[in-house]
Amino acid sequence: MNRIEKQLVENKNNNIKSLVAYLVAGDPNMDDTLSLMHGFVDAGVDVIEVGVPFSDPIAEGPIIQSAHDRSLANKTSFEGIIDLISNFRKKNTNTPIVLMGYLNSFLKNQKAFSRFDDIGIDGVLIVDAPGEYSLKDLGISNANVVSISLVSPTTTKERTKKICNASSGFIYYVTLKGVTGSSNVDLEEIKSNVIDLQKNTDLPVMAGFGIKNKEQAESISKVADGVVIGSYLVESIFEAKKTTDYKKIYNYLSEIKSVINK
Amino acid sequence: MKNKYSEPNSEGFFGSYGGKFVPETLMEALDELEKCYEDIKSDSEFQKKIDRDLADFVGRPSPLYFAERLTEHFKGPNIWLKREDLNHTGAHKINNTIGQILLAKMMGKTRIIAETGAGQHGVATATVAARLGLECHIYMGAEDVQRQSLNVYRIKLLGAHVHPVESGTATLKDALNEAIRDWVTNVDNTYYIIGSVTGPHPYPMIVRDFNAIVGRELIHQSQASFQSLPDAIIACVGGGSNAIGIFHPFIDEDVRLIGVEAAGQGIDTGKHAAPLNDGEPGILHGAKSYLMQDSDGQIMATSSISAGLDYPGVGPEHSFLKDSGRAEYIAVDDESVMKAFHQLSELEGIIPALETAHAFAPLDLICSEFNEDQNIVINVSGRGDKDIASVAKLEGIDLE
Repeated sequence: MNRIEKQLVENKNNNIKSLVAYLVAGDPNMDDTLSLMHGFVDAGVDVIEVGVPFSDPIAEGPIIQSAHDRSLANKTSFEGIIDLISNFRKKNTNTPIVLMGYLNSFLKNQKAFSRFDDIGIDGVLIVDAPGEYSLKDLGISNANVVSISLVSPTTTKERTKKICNASSGFIYYVTLKGVTGSSNVDLEEIKSNVIDLQKNTDLPVMAGFGIKNKEQAESISKVADGVVIGSYLVESIFEAKKTTDYKKIYNYLSEIKSVINK
Repeated sequence: MKNKYSEPNSEGFFGSYGGKFVPETLMEALDELEKCYEDIKSDSEFQKKIDRDLADFVGRPSPLYFAERLTEHFKGPNIWLKREDLNHTGAHKINNTIGQILLAKMMGKTRIIAETGAGQHGVATATVAARLGLECHIYMGAEDVQRQSLNVYRIKLLGAHVHPVESGTATLKDALNEAIRDWVTNVDNTYYIIGSVTGPHPYPMIVRDFNAIVGRELIHQSQASFQSLPDAIIACVGGGSNAIGIFHPFIDEDVRLIGVEAAGQGIDTGKHAAPLNDGEPGILHGAKSYLMQDSDGQIMATSSISAGLDYPGVGPEHSFLKDSGRAEYIAVDDESVMKAFHQLSELEGIIPALETAHAFAPLDLICSEFNEDQNIVINVSGRGDKDIASVAKLEGIDLE
């Protein structure tokens, strides 16, 4: 069984809500990304989403966009990200890892894709790939890598079904109409949409885009199987860079993990 | 009998190019747009409305003009010019915005957004938005805001808001990124008028169909002027909307179709904007097409003297026509474009846009392949007023 499936099923069976944390590979640099990943796990993160920087990230708000730009300015390459995951796996063989990025990066690195499971990459979330397409449809298949798709507030019932059928691992519910890190989340609407979504799938549902504080995380986790924190972490990593003290970030993540499991 | 050309397929693919590669939040909006467009396409009331606007507001049909001195100069085929530069707002871009704004209105959208490179599409969008009284926001790369200041001011005069985009390379591709982000955020009340035959399905099809009026007029005009179809049609290609507009009605006919890309500082230097000549297929801005990208799939910075062609991608239908061999794509560098710019101004009294001048730059070569009984048509996609200041600057002339 794939690490993602194993971890999330285990959490669900034990009634534990999952915490998914995002960072951009190579921001501020690969060494820090590696130590942040280990720090995330120690703080209680269940799944790590590693952002693959792209020159034209159309779904990202200014915070993650800038992180992509900084990372590319550091000459982050796909091969460098593969090395990062290999290095992470030297110490950690359990925590699921998802690569989140844009289709062009994965198409250009098809060869590496077939080695993903050997390297220790468990899933991909391709922001601009239509959710009803399987990885095979896109020409980048690897039977041991799960394909996580987004469902948004504008997704119709008909599409939701198709997307759920083509997905594996978990479903990522986009909590707002907007780019990553926006601030207009409507908690009640999110909850009712997540409940509707769960009727279409047995896969765990993680909710994210714009979730920052403990209150939001706690409220959403009443219905979702977990929450995703992205922009807030990317911003905190950027701010901590001056001091390279990431303790505050780890404390924040532990607190989130505990409030969603209150 | 040959099958009639019918691209794209129902999923929006021209062969293997095109498609809908966008964040999930936009999928429903694209489906809605596609349905609405299919409904009105065959609606005679809607068509009448467009025809009336194109005649009375834009000034169509645009003339087919015999370029006598240019023809004499090259001593080859008769050279005819399709005068899109004479349209209201000065380019072919208005053919598309006239159609799309009516679509927006029918869909009940109250807010219009668009991206622009040279500013022509921004002006054409702001113009139709003003006419229908709709709020309008134009995204433009900060670098383009600098080099196309006249159009920026025109857009503002028309009551629209200009948002300079500083991210990435601060040119057209980044303006597109920002417009897509706006659309994701305001999808309920906002209509995105894409300005070229790029982006996710159904845009490449819609923008093509609205621009195809140019080619349809040319069928009649060439019959009236020289009693046959043209032997060749030449147009510049950035995203490729003016080219596809004039090519499309001729795809099933025996007519050479020649697209001219921007070779910038030269194809060999890598500093250009010619993905069909020196790129490879990939995915950008919602569609699969030829792209300028590096070995890791990152989109490369482009270089062209003309802001309107300074784009690393190209419409998916052009990629399809290239691979199938139905159309030919060549590229000309900035230096030869400047020569052609002056040549057309001096020989014919027509100052073309720098984008348009690309279509004239390879005439020496092209004319040598035709004889004096033959007829070639060049699409004069836009006029050069907007470029006067930047040309003067390039040539070291102080206009102040």
